This record gives sequence, C-alpha cells and structure tokens, in this order.
Amino acid sequence: MPTNLMTKAAILMLSLVAISVVSWEYFLRSQGHQRGYDDDEALWAKNRSQVYGVTDKSTVFIGSSRIKFDLDIPTWEQKTGEDVVQLAMHGSCPLFALENLGDDENFKGKLVVDVTEGLFFKKDDDEAMGKRIKYLKDATPSEKVSAKLGMAVESIFLFIDKEKFSLGAFLDDLRISDRKGVRGGGIFPKKFAYVDFQRQEIMTDEFAVDTNMQREVTDLWSKWGALSDKHGVTGDTLQKIFTRVKTSVAKIKERGGKVIFVRTPSSGGYGVHEPISHPRSEYFDKLLSITDSPGIHFKDYPETKDFICPEWSHLSKSDAVKYTTSLIKIMENNQWFKTAN
Amino acid sequence: MVFNSYTFIVFFIIMLGLHNMPFSWKVKKINLLLASYIFYAAWNPPFILLLWLSTVVDFFVGRALYTEQNLYKKRLLLVLSLIGNLGMLCFFKYGNFILENFVTMVNFMGWDFHPAEPNIILPAGISFYTFTTLCYTIDMYKQKSQPVKSMLDFSLFVTFFPHLVAGPIVRPPQLVPQFETERKASRQQLLEGLFLMTLGLFMKVVLADSMLSGTANDIFGASGSLPALDAWMGVLAFSGQIFFDFAGYSTCAIGTAACLGFVLPQNFFYPYAAIGFSDFWRRWHITLSSWLRDYLYIPLGGNRSGTFRTYINLMLTMLLGGLWHGANWTFVVWGGLHGFYLWVEKAIADYRKDKVTPIESTPPGDVGVLGALPEIFKAKTLRNFSIALFTFFLINVTWVFFRATTFTQAWDLLTSMFGFSGDSKPMLTTLAIIKVSTIVFCMVIAHWVMRDKKVMDVIPTLSWQVFGALWALLLILLIWSQESSSSFIYFQF
Repeated sequence: MPTNLMTKAAILMLSLVAISVVSWEYFLRSQGHQRGYDDDEALWAKNRSQVYGVTDKSTVFIGSSRIKFDLDIPTWEQKTGEDVVQLAMHGSCPLFALENLGDDENFKGKLVVDVTEGLFFKKDDDEAMGKRIKYLKDATPSEKVSAKLGMAVESIFLFIDKEKFSLGAFLDDLRISDRKGVRGGGIFPKKFAYVDFQRQEIMTDEFAVDTNMQREVTDLWSKWGALSDKHGVTGDTLQKIFTRVKTSVAKIKERGGKVIFVRTPSSGGYGVHEPISHPRSEYFDKLLSITDSPGIHFKDYPETKDFICPEWSHLSKSDAVKYTTSLIKIMENNQWFKTAN
Repeated sequence: MVFNSYTFIVFFIIMLGLHNMPFSWKVKKINLLLASYIFYAAWNPPFILLLWLSTVVDFFVGRALYTEQNLYKKRLLLVLSLIGNLGMLCFFKYGNFILENFVTMVNFMGWDFHPAEPNIILPAGISFYTFTTLCYTIDMYKQKSQPVKSMLDFSLFVTFFPHLVAGPIVRPPQLVPQFETERKASRQQLLEGLFLMTLGLFMKVVLADSMLSGTANDIFGASGSLPALDAWMGVLAFSGQIFFDFAGYSTCAIGTAACLGFVLPQNFFYPYAAIGFSDFWRRWHITLSSWLRDYLYIPLGGNRSGTFRTYINLMLTMLLGGLWHGANWTFVVWGGLHGFYLWVEKAIADYRKDKVTPIESTPPGDVGVLGALPEIFKAKTLRNFSIALFTFFLINVTWVFFRATTFTQAWDLLTSMFGFSGDSKPMLTTLAIIKVSTIVFCMVIAHWVMRDKKVMDVIPTLSWQVFGALWALLLILLIWSQESSSSFIYFQF
C-alpha cells in the first residue's frame, strides 16, 4: 500500500480507536458505574509492602471478602488515627497470608484475622493467595513498573476493569447455559461492588436496595453451598490447620506483635447454615483457645449482632461504617490500640 | 520486559524518540545497546552478566577462529566456545534435569543418594541467545562469513532487544550488515512496523491469553480422565494458544525492529496449513528449524550418507530439538514423535521414489530437512487440504506431550481424547467450547487461505478505509481484552 494511503489508514485507525474508547467510557459513566481497581497481585503486593510501618500506627487485616467489605477504611483511619493495611482476599483462605507474615521476621505489628469458617477451614491450600505471595517474592522490575503505570491508567479510565468491562466479562455476560455437571464460575452483577485503591471492597448503593441483584448473588452462594449443612473439615485436617495457625500466631507474638480473630456478620442463608456446618465451639472458639488469642464474634455484641447483609455475606457501605465504628469501640475495650510496651 | 506491558510502551516510545534524534550512528547504536540491556535487565538484572560474558567470549573467540591457521588450535578454540556456550545452557537449563535423572539412575542401581535440591533459575532467553552466538562461532570456524569488526556491532547483534529473549534466531549475515550503515525507518516502514506490532499483540493478548489460555490451563491442569469433547477442546485451545503466543511474539519483534529501520527474518508461515511434517517445520519456528538443519542435521551427515543414516540423523535432530524446548522427557517424546512422523513421510517419499536433492550446505529459501516441498503439494486442492487437516490432527497429538508436565498427565489426556476415559465429568463451559472451536476453525481456514501469502502482501489489495477499520478493530479488541502482562510461553525455553 502506498505510503500516503497507509498514513490515511493509520489516521482512520486512530480516530476510530479514540472515538470507541471515549464513547465506551462515557457510556459506562452515564450508566452510573463506579471506578474500581483490579484487585490483582500487584495491588496486594503494594499493600503488603506497607506492613512494616510504625507498629502502633497501623493494623494489618487478613481474611476473605467479608472483612474487605465490612471494614470501612476511612472510618477506621479517621477514628483511630491509624493506617489500615488490607491484605484480605475474596474467596481465599487467610492461612497462607498468616504464615507469610509469621515467617517474616520484620513484621511485628498488629494483625486482625477475619474468620469465615468455610474458607478458613478448608482442605486445600489457596492458589490465589499463593500466587500473590509468589508475586511479592518474584516480581520483576518490569512487572513492578507496569503495575504502577497500570494503576495510574486505572485511576483515569473507568472502563479499565477486567472483571467487569473486559471482552471476557462481556462474553461471560451472555450467560450461555452449560452442560449438566459443569461447575461454571460465578457472574456477579456489575453493580455489586467496586474495589478502591486501598483494596476496600465497597457495595454500591444501588445494589444495597436492588433485591433482584441481591437475588442473583444469593443464588450464586446457594449454588456454591451456602445452604448446605454439611459439616466442615474435622479430624487430622482440622488439627493440622489449627497447628499451622498456632505456629504462625506464636511467631508474631514472640516478636511483640498482636493478633486478634474477628468473625464478621452474616445473615440470611449463611446466617442459618454456617452455625450448623461450622459450630462455633468446634471452630471459632477453639481457634481462640488453641492460639491463646482474643476474638470478636459479631453475635456477642448487641451493636453488631443484628446486622443484615443484603446478600447474606457482606455489609452495605453505610452498615460497614457502623460496623467499623462498633468494632473499634470493642477493640478499644480489648486494649487493642494500646502499644505492647 | 515483555511486549504486552505498559513498561514496554513507555520504553518503546523513548527508544523511538532517541532513534530519530539527530545523533551520530554510533551514538544511536550505543543507545540501542543500552536499551537492549535495560530491556533484558528489567526481567532479572544479575543475569545480564551472563549475556556480557557470552558476548565478550564469543567476539574474541570468533575472531581468533576465523584467523587461526593451525587446525589443532582452531579446533581447540571451537571446543572451548562450545563448552562455554553449551555449558552455560546445560547448567542453567538442564542442571536440575541432569541431577534428577542421575539420582533416579543411581537410586535404581542401589546407591541411596539424595543430594540437596539445587535452586537454579533459568535466565530468560538463554536458549535463544546461546544459539545466536553459537552459530557465529561455528560460522567463523568454517569461515562462512566475515568476523564482525567492532565489539559494539557484535554486542548489538547478540543483544538487539526485539529478538533477544525469544527470537527470531538471527544469523550474523542477516543482522550484522544492518548495523554498518545508518538505519532509520521510513514512514512506510514505521507504519508497517506499528501494524505488525498491533497484529502480534492482538494474537498474543486477545487470542492466546484472553480466549484460549484459560481452557488449555483448565484441561491440562485437570487430574484424571475427561470426556473426549473436553479433552479435545483443551488440546485444540493449546494448539491455538501456542501458535498465537509465539507467532504473536515474533510478529511483535519483527514490527518493533521495522519501526527502528531493521529487518528480522520471518519465523512463522501459517504452520497449520502444512502438508506433512517436513512442510510443518518449514513453517513453524522457521529460524529454529533452519538452525537445527544447518548446525545439527547437515553436520551429522544430513541425507548425504545413505538412507539409514538419514533416518538416524532426522531422529537425532528432532530429539535434540525437543530437548531444546525444555528440560523434561515429555519434550524429548514430543521431538521423537515429530521425528517419527518425518520418518513415515520419508518412507512414503522413498516408496514413491520422490527425487530429493542431497543437502550439502545451508540451502536457500524454504528447504526443509526432507528437501523442497514436492510440486504436487503446492496446489490448493481438496486432497491437499485433507492432508493438511490430517497433519493438524497429528500435530495436536504431539502438543499433548509438549504441554503436559508428566507422562501420566499426557496419557490421561490422550486416553480421554480417544474415548477411553470411561465415565467422567464434563468440565468446560459452553462458552469456552464455543470460543475454542470458533477460533481454531477460523485459524485453520485462515492458514489455508493465506498459505502462500504474507500479510504485508495482502494489505495493498485492500482499500485504505477497510485496512484502517481492520487495524482499528484489532486495537480496540486489544484494549478491550484488558489482559495483564503475562509472559510469553517461549520465554521459559
């Protein structure tokens, strides 16, 4: 193709790409979507690198999605004057992260461990968390720079959100039915929640009042066993988990760190079936006694026991603020914010 | 640094700017060399020392090899160079493998030997730059080309970032002369280069990563048996993934070099339209297969020492070619299968008494290990298409060994593919099956239709509006796919 025509084609290409990107961005904004960050290895690793802050000025959180939704970071930081390092990950077992912190000689801080029994006490190790810890150790200089540039781009464009607005997400939205027996992944409503730069997961106001969207999510939880009364792991498997937790907690405490276990609210299907599949005496309470650590169970406090999770598992944005405020108060009563020495 | 990363975008823009500044050619070459080191060091800085070592040693050894008259000294120098280059490759790439096999062997013989597990990290691209430097020293030994005059040009030949990590594997005469006079891309070359980069990234990011890798990973990561449909979809997904991943890398490399005014050799030519395996190796990873042909098959005797030796040489070449891809017996079996297919093809050719010219030295053009493609296979007939499909079917069987990490896994998958798996639970979603079948079907048809044409030869037949719209579509899909900067499969080789 002659150069002049090639140049025209390039100009046409640039124009079409610019128009498409701007239109797509404008369309998504007009639909009321909110900007979120890709909660990937890089964002997790960025937070992980902050666990060495001044010990009495920050608290590290590990766990699964509940603490990511239920802990309102601005409220915590404003009321306590301390920083939050959010290392929890949705759908994940925090044991890997706990061991990672336990093995890190330089970590001597305060640690809050969120316990969602179905995830905490499970047979297999967690691949997703393992991937993040591997990234922490093995990320190349190029990957680190790319991650920083990527975050800068994400902070500008709403459409840069792989889970919600990528080509793959669009194809998933076609919701083509599967053969019998296929365990497909879950497709969450796009307006369920978004992740901010500090890795807080925030339920949108629209979701908090839309029962159709809530039903979509509770259907997924049901499909994945929320309504099951099947007893959680027992015997050797459970004992091994307790031993691993105990070892890591002991290491952190030996270095002057503090560990507390927190059971965040659940309701609806989870509220009914979790206490049956994972009786408190066999799991949460035993965890506290084995590790000789304090714990806060939402059922034990009048200000937290009656929270309603719109989709059984996570709090709305406004309830997250209330829960965080209550949690701080309870923890203050537990001398949490007092320095060790 | 990978092409599909934000870091590379910034790096490339800076490089393009610097390369078009009014600096002297020497300064521009120094810029390119420093940039190439940064490109490599961005992956793992300490390994740049290996690259320097390899460059410095081969520059001086190469020159000495060319000028040395004493045959003994010359041979000694060559052996030193081979030990240096291959020794490094063996240590980093095959160290664990050799030790594992040694331990298995001595344990089998009754010696209870359990050494500490070595923790050897494989430097990215070591297989590629080792082959680049090896061919230089061998060429110098044979006085096939002139030694490179300056250290700067030689360093740039070895390190030039577009080809450094995953090829195309370049030969000195292909690249070194391009450093002798000033190169700057014309507007045409720049636009073509940018288009090739878009196309390469589209292949890698959209097709390989976004559409196919998930299915391939799921199936090859599954334990036990699978329904035949799922097993086949997984293997076809990998078949597409590895092509789009590696051909995408090569296309990006060629495009990046073009933007800077350089020309790199073509590495892929619609391999899934191959009629037979000799044809496949003319089209798949062309620079590796021609390297193996010229520096292994021909020195072994090629097809010049009788039929029996030809068979042996073919198999040895393919077995070593398999091992080059990775330190695992599964790769050796993959190479062995290709060798076996070439045997069968040669036996058929011998039976039909096809005329095959002995390959004496580096042949020109598209000559594979079994000679040029017979005329009968050049026509686009239904018969040839059927043979191409059968070849594609057999290639898929070989990919099972290439992708599986153990023989048990490979066997499970093969038995599943051919319906011997018994009762097994379906795994893939309908969407995954639709994605894989659509992409693989389009890929095979596109390969067949484009069998004899280069992409850049087809573009002039389109109107600029259509070409511009197609280019935009590739870029929009690329942006839309939002895949993170995952590594290329061939980096691990």
